[in-house]
Amino acid sequence: MQFDSFTFLVFFAAVLAGYNALPGWGARKNFLLVASYAFYAAWNPPFLLLLIASTTLDWWIARRIDAAQAPAARKRWVVATLVVNLVVLGYFKYSAFALDSLAQALATIGVVYVPPRLDIVLPIGISFYTFHSLSYCFDVYRRKFAPTPDWRDYALYVGFFPQLVAGPIVRFTQMREQIETPRRTSADGLGLGLAFLTLGLFEKIVLADTVFAPVADAVFNDAAHANASGAWIGMIAFSGQIFCDFAGYSTCALGAALALGFRLPINFRNPYAAIGFSDFWRRWHISLSSWLRDYLYVSLGGNRGGEWKTYRNLMLTMLIGGLWHGAAWTFVAWGALHGGYLALERYAREHWWPGGRQAGRALAFAYGAITLVAVMYAWVWFRARGFGDGWAISRALVDVGGLSAGLAATTFEQRLAVAVFGLLVLVQALLRNTDPERAFRRLPAVVVGLLLAAMLCLIVLSPGNNHAFIYFQF
Amino acid sequence: MTNDADIANTSPRRWLVAWIVALAVAALALAGVERGWRAHGQVPNVLDSPQLWSTERDKVYGDSPRPLVLLGASRTEYGFDMPTLRAELPGYRPVMLAINGLYPLAVLRDLANDPDFRGTVICDVESNAFLTEYRELQQPYVDYYHRHWTPSWRAHRALLDVWQQAAAISNPDLGAIAMLRRALAGAPPPPRNYVAYHTDRSGDIDYTLTDPEGAKRHFAAVAETNVANLPKRTPESWFAEVRPVLEQARAIEARGGRVIFYESPISGFNRQIMDRVYPPELYWNRFAAESPVAVVSARDYPELVAFPLPDDSHIDYRNKAAYTRTLIGVLKAKGLLQ
Repeated sequence: MQFDSFTFLVFFAAVLAGYNALPGWGARKNFLLVASYAFYAAWNPPFLLLLIASTTLDWWIARRIDAAQAPAARKRWVVATLVVNLVVLGYFKYSAFALDSLAQALATIGVVYVPPRLDIVLPIGISFYTFHSLSYCFDVYRRKFAPTPDWRDYALYVGFFPQLVAGPIVRFTQMREQIETPRRTSADGLGLGLAFLTLGLFEKIVLADTVFAPVADAVFNDAAHANASGAWIGMIAFSGQIFCDFAGYSTCALGAALALGFRLPINFRNPYAAIGFSDFWRRWHISLSSWLRDYLYVSLGGNRGGEWKTYRNLMLTMLIGGLWHGAAWTFVAWGALHGGYLALERYAREHWWPGGRQAGRALAFAYGAITLVAVMYAWVWFRARGFGDGWAISRALVDVGGLSAGLAATTFEQRLAVAVFGLLVLVQALLRNTDPERAFRRLPAVVVGLLLAAMLCLIVLSPGNNHAFIYFQF
Repeated sequence: MTNDADIANTSPRRWLVAWIVALAVAALALAGVERGWRAHGQVPNVLDSPQLWSTERDKVYGDSPRPLVLLGASRTEYGFDMPTLRAELPGYRPVMLAINGLYPLAVLRDLANDPDFRGTVICDVESNAFLTEYRELQQPYVDYYHRHWTPSWRAHRALLDVWQQAAAISNPDLGAIAMLRRALAGAPPPPRNYVAYHTDRSGDIDYTLTDPEGAKRHFAAVAETNVANLPKRTPESWFAEVRPVLEQARAIEARGGRVIFYESPISGFNRQIMDRVYPPELYWNRFAAESPVAVVSARDYPELVAFPLPDDSHIDYRNKAAYTRTLIGVLKAKGLLQ
């Protein structure tokens, strides 16, 4: 079920009413779990069984890890959960990609291999709930907490519908107390939650789907013929689309949870106002970047093995992070670019500016601009349908001679997308160190009401076709 | 982010005020926009889409009443009157799967490959439709149905039908971006759509709202361009392309279904172009003679070609019911429908 659907409006109203009508916390949790599973099954009912099986297995394995005393036995259990989760994820998400890559590799040595045509449907949200489960088992293995004996509580942690299919990737430590402590809808939580839902839907429906997506699609669906202005506009439009799409989903998730009395961690904090690449990753998809840092980068050795191992670990983390996003080499290229950016930044900081000298305003602005353009360029590879398209857009971007001629022929929709993206970056720069909640709370109630009214009007007056949230496919 | 305590400590009255203002202002503004568009002659209209198509695709199963699946392009979507079909053929459940602007053979193939489909198909084609270049035109709809059509979207589309039937502002042409574009360009408001859709996907063309002569020129130009851009087929090579389609029709009939290939009436330049490129005696008539399934051409029935086609291709909605009744009469007389 998508947040930007009538189905969700009806579903959410029914959940709010039913949840608050039940007297006991146990009953309300049962209700939330059933509602979450209905939310998931509304997409493809048979895959609910996979979610329940995965949940149950990881809940059980975590208890075995905790019960085992010998380090070797604990390790065996944690390896077992890692293997099972990655095999399931690999089968659904990477089988076709692996076989196609094998065929391409064999072709380079003259061996012809035609892989079977696999028509595997990717269970929605599998990358997200797999990471939920893995983080839980890893944390139990690291003795950060004892596993919950209550299957229902664990299943609600994994399956809680606001974050089930596209995050944020919540840690058990962030949810345990909230699940174990009785709560219900408060007037403030409902007011703020609905405001977040409105903001998220505005980002998704108005900005991502209506302003940015048509412009980005027009360029990337015909990348081979993109000229310089088209490439720049397409890159800008997709940069706007991917942020508004994914941040819109996360904002809706936070809002739906708040309305039910839960608080999910913020997932985006004005990333296009980042100054530097490590700063970008502290602001973009925060729950994923912290997951990759804690469970992948640190497990690989982090910065403990010397300078070059640190660079290697950074690069590996970002390559795997890229592949997590999708089964295509273009996602790996996107991860490689970010790995390269982070490594270069680290090298510069350690060798050219040791001691962390404070940057002046002009330098910070310049570095912020460089960060933004580099991040936008990386999105080209994220969006490109293949390496050919990525190269075609890349070549067009540096065709400075063709830029001015192309700019004169831009359409209204292209100019609007660029202007709205500029506005988006400006707003993020102005709100760089705050978040939507603080902004809502600071403004007078009437002004908040007028802002919400404007967003509601634009949502209703943007009746295009529904687009799936981009991150649903991950 | 602030913490849990902040939520509890903030005055509920603040959000009450904010949401009363928001809902009141939004309701007033949207009602004003709706009223403005209606004053300009706009009316609510259902929007055809892969989702709406999928709601119809869901209905092709079952035996009682027997599904009567209508395949084709605009001439079927705008030419078949669904209430008349329901009234005249009580033993059938009409299902509109025709898609404006796209030849239908990808959907026929999908039905042939569906072992649960055993209904009756009226597949509106012309000689051009069999060319491999046009074979996949409706495939994106088929793909959408098989890959993305979920219980959630079914419920969404049902609610969207209600909204689109109630609000003119549900039309993207009347949306905020389109309004802004026109305002900046000093362009006039868009004319009312001359096609009114129903939730069963059939459409009514009202030629008093458009320029039929302009449409006529447009269709003739499109036909000429399409013909010029495609390699010429000999009757033999054309029939080689027809043969797999007949196999698909045969597969449906082998399961107890029925397929009727139907060539709907066209006139004027459209007719001349089609007859010039595909002389019926070398193409269609041979197809009709060799086909193992029923083939009916409107040109063989004066009562069908007698209906006026304002743009040489489509029928005005005022004549739809009579045209549909006449066609049913023809098909019943041939024993193809009960």
